[in-house]
Formats: sequence, structure tokens, C-alpha cells
Amino acid sequence: MSLSNAQTSLLDRSRPAARPRTAGSRKRRYALTVLAFLLPSAVPLALFTLGPMVAALWISLHEWNLLSAMRFVGLGNYIDLLGDPQTGAVFLHTLYYIAGYLPLVYVGGLALALALNTALKGRSFLRGIYFLPVVTSWIVVALVWRWLLNPSNGIVNAVLAAVGIQGPGWWTDPAWAMPSIILASAWKDLGFVMVILLAGLQAISPDLYDAAKVDGAGWWRRLFSVTLPLLSPSTFFVFVISLINGFQVFDQVYAMTGGGPNGASEVVVQRIYDLTFRYGAAGEASALSWLLFVVVLAITLIQVRGQRRWVNYG
Amino acid sequence: MNRRLLGLVGVAGAAALVMTACAPAGDSDGPVTITYTNFISNDGNEDNLQTIIDAFEEENPDITVEVTTLPYGDYGTALQTDLAAGTVSDVFDIEYANYKAYQSSGVLAPLEVANPDAYRASLLEAYSTDGTSYALPSSFSTVVLFFNKDLFDAAGLDYPSSDWTWADEEAAGLALTDQAAGVWGDHQPVSFYEFYKVLAQNGGQFLNEDGTAVAFNSPEGIEAAQWLVGKSGTTMPTIEQGQGTPDFDTNLFKDGKLAMLHTGIWMFGAFADVPFGWDIAVEPGNTTQASAVFSNAVGVSATSEHIEAATKWAEFLTSSTTMVDVRLDSGWELPPVSDEAALATYLEKDNPANRQAVFDSLDNVALPPVVAVGQTEMQDIVTEELIEAQAGRKTVEEALASAEERINAVIGG
Amino acid sequence: MADTALSARRMPGPRLAGWIVLHVVIVLGAVVMFFPFLWTLITSISPGVGLTVTPALWPENPSLSAYETLFTELPFARVVGNSLLLAVITTVVQLVTSSTAAYAFSRLPFRGAGIVFSVYLATMMIPLQVLIVPLFVELKTFGLLNTYLGALLPTFASAFGIFLLRQAINQVPRELDEAATLDGAGHFRIFWTIILPNIRPALATLTVFAFMGSWNSFLWPLVVLRTPELQTLPIALASLQGQYTTEWDVIMAGSVVSILPMLALYIFAQKYVIQGVASSGIK
Repeated sequence: MSLSNAQTSLLDRSRPAARPRTAGSRKRRYALTVLAFLLPSAVPLALFTLGPMVAALWISLHEWNLLSAMRFVGLGNYIDLLGDPQTGAVFLHTLYYIAGYLPLVYVGGLALALALNTALKGRSFLRGIYFLPVVTSWIVVALVWRWLLNPSNGIVNAVLAAVGIQGPGWWTDPAWAMPSIILASAWKDLGFVMVILLAGLQAISPDLYDAAKVDGAGWWRRLFSVTLPLLSPSTFFVFVISLINGFQVFDQVYAMTGGGPNGASEVVVQRIYDLTFRYGAAGEASALSWLLFVVVLAITLIQVRGQRRWVNYG
Repeated sequence: MNRRLLGLVGVAGAAALVMTACAPAGDSDGPVTITYTNFISNDGNEDNLQTIIDAFEEENPDITVEVTTLPYGDYGTALQTDLAAGTVSDVFDIEYANYKAYQSSGVLAPLEVANPDAYRASLLEAYSTDGTSYALPSSFSTVVLFFNKDLFDAAGLDYPSSDWTWADEEAAGLALTDQAAGVWGDHQPVSFYEFYKVLAQNGGQFLNEDGTAVAFNSPEGIEAAQWLVGKSGTTMPTIEQGQGTPDFDTNLFKDGKLAMLHTGIWMFGAFADVPFGWDIAVEPGNTTQASAVFSNAVGVSATSEHIEAATKWAEFLTSSTTMVDVRLDSGWELPPVSDEAALATYLEKDNPANRQAVFDSLDNVALPPVVAVGQTEMQDIVTEELIEAQAGRKTVEEALASAEERINAVIGG
Repeated sequence: MADTALSARRMPGPRLAGWIVLHVVIVLGAVVMFFPFLWTLITSISPGVGLTVTPALWPENPSLSAYETLFTELPFARVVGNSLLLAVITTVVQLVTSSTAAYAFSRLPFRGAGIVFSVYLATMMIPLQVLIVPLFVELKTFGLLNTYLGALLPTFASAFGIFLLRQAINQVPRELDEAATLDGAGHFRIFWTIILPNIRPALATLTVFAFMGSWNSFLWPLVVLRTPELQTLPIALASLQGQYTTEWDVIMAGSVVSILPMLALYIFAQKYVIQGVASSGIK
């Protein structure tokens, strides 16, 4: 983002048409205007995001069930968390989710974007269909897929049975619970990724393809040497957003498996929720929240740093 | 599934009106509305609870009781959230295992019990701290061995009796299991509440002496867990076959495809109309007999604006003759009252015939282990790890060792 | 992109084959993507879907009984009303807070603007989940738990919305402002008469996103709205699953009710939504 104009001194912006005033009163008036425009957003952000953020740090240093008095335990909650095998498990499950979800939506979204970037009849209608799940709530997506993947009478296993395949237990089976969630999530987000990549594709100049064709490059060659490098900013955006959202996955897990069966799909946020409202361990939950925040921040920063190596802003 | 929100619709509408209409007056004058959140009537006893409420409202025309019923599985989280939010009902259900934690958190109002003699002394005592009652027992029940007489007759086997041990149960279970016909010999949930009990039946300890660490990772504990987990796939259906899903075991029993079932006496009503003969027996033990007694209670919120009216309702719900009649008539657990004569009528009723077993099971009671911090998490961990062993992802030894490590981390801090 | 490249009639054999395959795959893909919605609808009008029956593709005895259950046995009308109310208020407030902040960052340079803007953007990365406990405590202190306001307050400012509108305002030629300034207009008038009318597409995009965000939000309402008569659709749906474990017709009917308003909005605003998403990725 460019900040240069923001640094411009206030006096440069004084208006020739303004009635003559002292510099001081003009400054004050301008400051009030800025405040008037900023306060409506600054107040809620300070009160309901930044303030609580700091408060979470404070709470994380205490043992507290939200009912009795808080008891200061220093870094005790963080030490407990790091020693609890469940902490590692929920982060692993979350990573499993991301590792399954991200390639699926990226490759699927890319394939769709490439296909829809050609002159297809009814292109915008098809695009609309693919995008429809994006506007559907996670809870509905989870319920619908819970039903589609119902092991006993869901349609997916019914179709599989019709072709002679015994379908798995999906969300009732610990081994298949996370794949079920991944499948549902990929279905929902495919259209989102497709639209972002499609916008990126349309920004690529056709001349480049023509030049590549003249050089005798085939379709795959053009994909890897023209399309993907020039699409890298969009790809980068998809990765950043997906990772940030992936670490916060909760709604679909809550509604589809509740973290089960037997904790097999319990993710970080589900653990935060359970610690707070099931086990009455708000301090530990806040510590885990901060741990999550630090991980998300670190991964985002690493990505932003790493982007110079592969993202081409041409 | 029952439609338990049925009543809620009306309640919601009424609540909206009442909330605006009702001034925060004192208890003594003017009509008051108190709220009651419960799980005990969930899944079949909603009408019975309503009968008690109707009787109470008739006796106390100034008090209206609004009831919310939640499934047991959601209740703990909902209660904890409501307590923290300050949106808890005036009166709410609690379990014995959580009493200690809630009492020490100060969310329970101390109660002046008008007629303490009406209660079974031991039960009333279980919910008092330093001589003051903070909750009133609403019922008690035991877990017994239900069995399908027709299946036993067909196989030419003797019915379970109070001198049975695990070995007898296993032998009968194996003989009665006919997987091809979808008939199973035995069913016992793989969970915390079963484990602490079979541990006691095997002479083991759940917690160490001062309650700061678990003691179940012992030869007795491993054998007990093995007993529970090992049923799966031999005498009991496996998880893949549906075991562990809600109502699976009771439906299997109702369908006549389960010979023995470990469950609570709250199922009497649900099994009343099955087309086969059934009875109950005290659960077999191994080295000793031990039965689980469940006791629920109701507490009054310390922040309630109508503590007096709420206490009145809590006491009516737990000791009135209406309650005793309703519970005994429907077989909805046992009333927590001291009146032995009332309980005598319970014994006279039929189906099951051997109701004496309910009282016999009280002779050797295994109380659930209770810790001050991390009760719910401790229970969840035991269940999770046992299921890991049941599913074959861990050995019983690994599961108990892992449970020991995780629980000690929770309750030790 | 011009539609000159491909027209089936003029294509040589292998390319024609590719063209057909492409179309078949894309259309099949669309059918697969759409099928879950269709299946939801079919299930919702197939009464008696229990533990073992898979509904027929064309229900033999279609019935609206599941919808009747929803609206007669559950406070579902109230729930839909709650969701609408919260979504509309959130949307209106976010339009105000985002557009004013975006104007400040685009047109009102001040010392430290860069830092303030960075802080705003950084809040996008703070997951709400991190804030659950302190927000819960904060709103309890204000006595706002279990109120509409409590559910609304944390949604009032949206860093995404501010970012989106700032990009849009940056595109509005500054000559327009300067002309208005010469006519003696102050910032509030410029904002109202010049800027807002010129960023209508972006405002429409934000409208859809804000509405969608509120309509679909789950975790915070789950925690803050405690009584059934205050619940929103996603929460009622999630608890429906606990109530009607195996009555899939009822659960799917609830899902249909939840999808429809969003679908209607989407059909009207599809262009803006897709543009909004697309433009967010280009920067």
C-alpha cells in the first residue's frame, strides 16, 4: 500500500477557497473532520477487537472458570497447553484439514477458471452455479453434506452401492471424518477460488499466449511458463486467505462431526470453545487463542516474506 | 426422537409477553414467573414433568414455572455458558459429580429447606456443604442388568441372578450371540460411567488417596477395561455396526435382538410395551459387587430474583407427593424421599417383576470419582481413550496410560 | 475476452473433440456442484426419511409436512426474523462505518495515517475466536449478553469493508472533489454528493458481503444469544440436528429456509458479489 500521500503535511492541503482563518483554528477544524470520519469505525474496532485482544492476554495468565474469582498463574496455562497431548492433536487435525483442503480447492478452482476463461456458452450462468455454495452458510453446508454422506441412507453411499462399492462410514468413522469435512469445505469454496483466479487470468494479456504459440509451446507448456507465473499474485492471495481461514475452521466441524467421532476431527477452535464453555477453563482457552493467533501471524508473515521469491507482479 | 421443543414455542411466546409485563417485584407479593432448565425429563418424561408443574401451579397460583428441556449431551455446555453469562434459569438440574465444583464457585444459592425430613438423609447430605443445603436431590436411580427372558428361554439358559459374576455373563453372552441373525448377547456402553463401576467391581481404585492423581492404570484397571472393551465384536456390536450411537442399545433391546443390557432403571417406562418378557438383576461383579447410583439434583441460582419462589418449586419438584406418585407410576427413576411406605408400592408393581433388585443394588454402591477441577474433562478423556481401545487403535494398556497422563495434567494443576 | 476464438462449426476435428469434452466436463461439474441443493430440496419434501430410507429422486408422496413442523412446532418464524433483523442492522452500520473510514484514509491525510491504516488492516487477521472469552466478559459487564445489541456490536466495523471501499474511493478522480471544493463544499458534502454516488458498485458489493457475513455467522451468536426466542438461523439449524437427529426431511427443510433469502439476494447482486471477490484478489 502506498502511504506517501498520507505523509503530506497538513498545511499543503489547506484550501485556497477557505475563508481566512488562523492556521490553528483551521488545523483544529480539520482534525475534527478527520475524527468525525474515523470514529464510527475506530470505536468499535478498539472496543471489540483491539481491547479484547489485550484482555485475552491478561486472562490467559489466570486460571478462571468464568464463575469464581480469577487466580493468577503466570505462564502456567501456556505450560499446561504445551504439555497436553491434546494441544498437539488439535493443531495436527487443523493442519490435516488445510493440507487436504487447499490443494483440492486450488487445483479444482484453477481447472474451472481455465475452462470458464474460454468462450463457453452460458459462461456467466455456469459461473453463477459454481459460486452458489459460497453464499451458503457453513452450517447449512455441513448439514447438507452430513446428509449426502450419511453412511446408512445418504445418496453418496447409495450411488456407490449401485456400482458395487461399499461406501465408507464418512463422518461416523474416525478415519473418514476429516476427509468428509474437507470434501464439504472444498465444495463450498471452489467457486470463491475460481472467481479470484478467473479475474487473474483475464488480466493476462493474450499477446503473451500468441507469442508462446509462435514459439511452438503446447498447452501444458503455456500453462507452466505463461499462465501460472502471471497468475502468481492471485495464487498468493488464495493461499494467504485459505491459510488464515483454515486455522480458524470451526462451524463446519461443529455441525458435521462436533469434533468427533471420539475427537478424531477436533480442531483448534473447537478446543477453544470446549475449554471455555464445557470444561470451564477460560484462562487456558485464552492461552490457546493466543497460540493460534501467533501461529496465524507467523505463517502469514512467512508467506508475505516468501512471496518475493515466487510471486510475479510483472 | 421426541419433539421436545413443542412446549418451548408456547413458552417462548409467553416469555416475551411476561418479560415486559413482569416488574421485578419481591417474592412475597404479586405473581412471579420462575424458569427451570432440565435434562431429566428429556426423551420421554416431558409429560410427567408437566404433571408435576401443573400440580405446583395449582397449589401456588402466584407462581408460574417456565420449563426448558435440553438433551443430556448439550446440557453441560449450555449450563456452564448460562452460568457464566448470568442467563441461567432460576432453578436448574445438576448432577452429583458436578455439585462440588458448582457449589465452590458460588453459583448455587443456599437453601432453607422447609421439610428436610421428607428426604432420604444420605441423599440430602450429598448436596449439602458445611451443614447447608445448596441443592435438593430430585431422584436417584441405579444401573442394573436388563435381560430378554424369551431369548434366554429359547437358548435354554438360566436367567441372570444376583450371584452371577463376569464369567457367567460372558458365557451367557457368547451363547446368546447369533451374529448371522443380528442377535447380540450383551451390551454395555464403553464410557466413563461404566468404567469407574467395573473398576470397583474388580476391586480397583479410580483416584489415589488424596484425589490428586488417578490410580486406575493398575492390573485391576486394565482387566476391568479389557472386560468392557472386549465385549465389542464378541457379545456386543462394534462401533462400525452402530454401537455407541444414541438410542442404539435400547432400540436393539426393544427389537428383541439383545439378550442383556446394562442400563438405568429410568428405562422401565420405555420397555413397558415390548412384545416379549423381560426382567432385571443386580449387575454381576468380578471380585466384588458394585452398582452405579445416579443422583440428580436441582439447584437455585444465587443470582435469581425470586429465590423464595424458586426454592418453593425446587422443594415441590423433589419432595411433593405428586412427584412421588408420578415417578412411581411411570417408573421414572426413584423419588429421593424417606417415606419407605411410598417406595413399597414401587415393589408391588410388575414388569419388571424383580424390582427388589433395584434396592439390592443399593447395598453395594460405587460412587463416581469426583475432583474439584476438571471433572467433565476427566470424564470425557476416559470415554475417549476407552473408545480408542475399543476401536483397536490403541491397546487397553496404551489407552489407560494415555488417559492417566492426560487426566493427571488436568486435575493436578 | 472476445468470443472470437471458438465456434464449433469452424473447428478442425481434434479441436472439436476437445471442445466437446470441455463442455461436457464443465456442465457435468456444474450438475455435481448444484446437486446438493437439489437433493436438499427433494429431501425436504420427502416425508418419513428416517434411519434407513434413501429418498427417491422424484418423491412419490411429496409433502410440505416438514415445513409445517418447522414453523408450528419450532419458533422458526421468529428465528428467521431474528436473522433478518441482525443482518439488516449489521449491513447498514457497516456501510456507514466503512465508507466514512475509507473516505478518511483516501481523502483526509493526517499524521500517522499509515500506522492507523495498518492497525485497521491487521485486525482482519485477528480471528474472532481469539476474542471469544474477553468479548463474552466485556459484554457481560455491559449487561449485553443475550441481547440483539450484544450480538451486533462486534460486527459493527469491518476491516475488509474499509479496505474494499478505500480502493473504490481511490478510483474516483480527485478533480471531482477539487471542483466541488471550489464551489465551497466541505468534506461532508463531498463525501455525500460526490464520493458515495461514485462508488455505488463497491457499496453494493459490501452490502452483499455484510449481509452474508451476518446471515451466516455462527460462533458468536451461539455464545451470546442464549434463549431460543433470540436465536438466529444457523444456531437453530445446528440445534435442529440435535432435536431431529434422523428426521432429515425436517433438517433439510430448515436448510432450504436458510438458503432461500441468501439465494434471492445473490441472484439480484451476483454481478457485484463476483466482482467484489475478483477485485479483492487482484491487488
